Amino acid sequence: MKMSDALIELQNLKVHFPQKKKLTGKVTTWIKAVDDVSLKIFTGECLGLVGESGCGKSTLGRAILKLVPLASGKIRYNGDEIQHLGERKFHFFRPKMQMVFQDPKASLNPKMKVKQILSEALAICTEISKKQHAQRATELMSMVNLRPEHLFRYPHEFSGGQQQRICIARALATQPEFLVFDEATSALDVSVQAQIIDLMVTLQGSLNLTYLFISHDLSIMEHICHRVAVMYAGRIMELQDADRLFAAPRHPYTKALRDAVPIADPTKREGMAILEGEVPSLLEPPQGCRFHPRCRQATEICSQQVPVATKLKSGNWVRCHHHEDIWNKFSCPDGHNHA
Amino acid sequence: MSNMTQPEPILSVNNLCVSFEDSRGVMRILEGIDFSLYPGEVLALVGETGCGKSVTAKSMLDLIPQLSRTRTGRVSFEGKDLLKLSNRELTQVRGRSIAMIFQNPQSSINPVFTLGEQINRLIRMYLQDDIKQICKQRNLKLNAAVRQIAKEKLAEVGLTETGRLMKSYAHEISGGMAQRYKIALALLSAPKILIADEATSALDVTVQAHILKLLKEMSQKKGTAILFITHDLGIAAQICDRVAVMYSGRIVEIGATEELFENPMHPYTRGLLKAVPKLGDKEPLQGISGKIPDLANPPQGCRFHPRCDHRLVICQSQKPAYKGNLKDYVVACHLFNAKDIS
Repeated sequence: MKMSDALIELQNLKVHFPQKKKLTGKVTTWIKAVDDVSLKIFTGECLGLVGESGCGKSTLGRAILKLVPLASGKIRYNGDEIQHLGERKFHFFRPKMQMVFQDPKASLNPKMKVKQILSEALAICTEISKKQHAQRATELMSMVNLRPEHLFRYPHEFSGGQQQRICIARALATQPEFLVFDEATSALDVSVQAQIIDLMVTLQGSLNLTYLFISHDLSIMEHICHRVAVMYAGRIMELQDADRLFAAPRHPYTKALRDAVPIADPTKREGMAILEGEVPSLLEPPQGCRFHPRCRQATEICSQQVPVATKLKSGNWVRCHHHEDIWNKFSCPDGHNHA
Repeated sequence: MSNMTQPEPILSVNNLCVSFEDSRGVMRILEGIDFSLYPGEVLALVGETGCGKSVTAKSMLDLIPQLSRTRTGRVSFEGKDLLKLSNRELTQVRGRSIAMIFQNPQSSINPVFTLGEQINRLIRMYLQDDIKQICKQRNLKLNAAVRQIAKEKLAEVGLTETGRLMKSYAHEISGGMAQRYKIALALLSAPKILIADEATSALDVTVQAHILKLLKEMSQKKGTAILFITHDLGIAAQICDRVAVMYSGRIVEIGATEELFENPMHPYTRGLLKAVPKLGDKEPLQGISGKIPDLANPPQGCRFHPRCDHRLVICQSQKPAYKGNLKDYVVACHLFNAKDIS
């Protein structure tokens, strides 16, 4: 895998939604869904984006594909700035960036047969002549392990896993380089989820795709992602290699998230640590580090200063004032008694 | 675990069958469910979508539409067969001795009444004696006594700031708070059994950890038996004493959590465990090929045989019987003899 150049580069990206008065429509405040995110996604990698609901992870995914208006910041695709492009100029980039959503049933048109669903994508975003649509559609179906006769069925005739395969086939129709999976496996059963993940990994290898995998499930992240970004209240708290992130988290929030996951192994029962407090409102996020009201390690500086992204040896980074102390505590054998 | 000290089950389900009729024919949703629930234990009912987990729980309390539905079998609870009770008799059981909490807490709270009104109404219904006692002891008026009890009960599930909470509506509180509130309501009548139907599936992992801990504490403190319906094997492993694995209308394997995860017998359980991603364990995931059977036209014999890698000739024609001792470990598969199950 080549991980030298960044396919997507985000610089100080901000997405703010207006909160309007009911009657006059006057904007009162702004919901800062994504606040100052800088990130690079390298060619051929799978970057995970994890966080609790309402932390802005889906909004960030949509913002990269310009599906929501940006407040400020830059998006570079292969070095080209795309944030200011209008829809017509962006049309050149649109086929290269595709998205797969959580609920496959809701994202397929129930009145269209699979063949029509795929041809629609082919007609809008590719130069393929209409005659060749059928052949290309058959190719796409075999890519996602569905049979050619499935082309003539309606979405409701498929199971959830098969529907998600169709969604993936439709995304692949435009020969994209970059795919965003927004909780694409969350609605599926574990046995089906494992199949879809297997398919995603195979496709990534054979087509040299770059993935942004948005999920709230940390255990899947570990299986398919190369690097994982942890998001909290509109900001990215930590960016780490997937193995290292869960084995030795640097940020207290990452650790809390990891410890809350129930592990399917009754011999590992001591886990399930409890994170107190609630997710902060994005209308008035806490000053300083956004995690400080819930953080056990928080000191005075956390409530006053926004922590800067500190580079780690591996080239990744963490935003925490105390990440070195925490690191030292976790490395010693009885480190978990710090509370 | 608890079944060794208290061998008398509080609820036992024998050969429960439920079928629906629709335009495609008779759908046999449940094909003979057998299990027992012991006081103070947490039993997980796990399985994939559409395997009949929720129908099992709901049909015990007759919460599914009665039109075109047939039930056979026996559900014994306190010497009565729940399937034979009239609707009026069942209302004495529902919520009072067997309480239930559902997946989406916000939508299972009445949106047009405040949280305070709803909990107060239930307190007046279930806790008449407590109200009188508190009125006498602390010399309070009726309404003040009810409020006092509400405050205590909400504090038990970790809800503070009760003053503000009692005046709020369902949409004004977070999912985690709503689920805590629902648990407080469910536990008001000191039920013997609590059925949690995917109670934490809609919540974030951090909130889920809170709720799971709370349920486990409540079951230990009050001796409430919990039937925990979930598709998440992680939850089953973490908080449940025993696990029952369901596939297409039958329990295929049931046993103590440690034993079942350590040494799963049924090929479906094994497949399921291989498909679950575990944190800190990077073994490649394996899905189970094939798909869940069409209930209007299920496979003959063992319903899992079309997807099973170890199928025998007999699997295609004959339904496997339950092997093992209902109290300890049971598996329904032709691959094993009764002797194999210790």
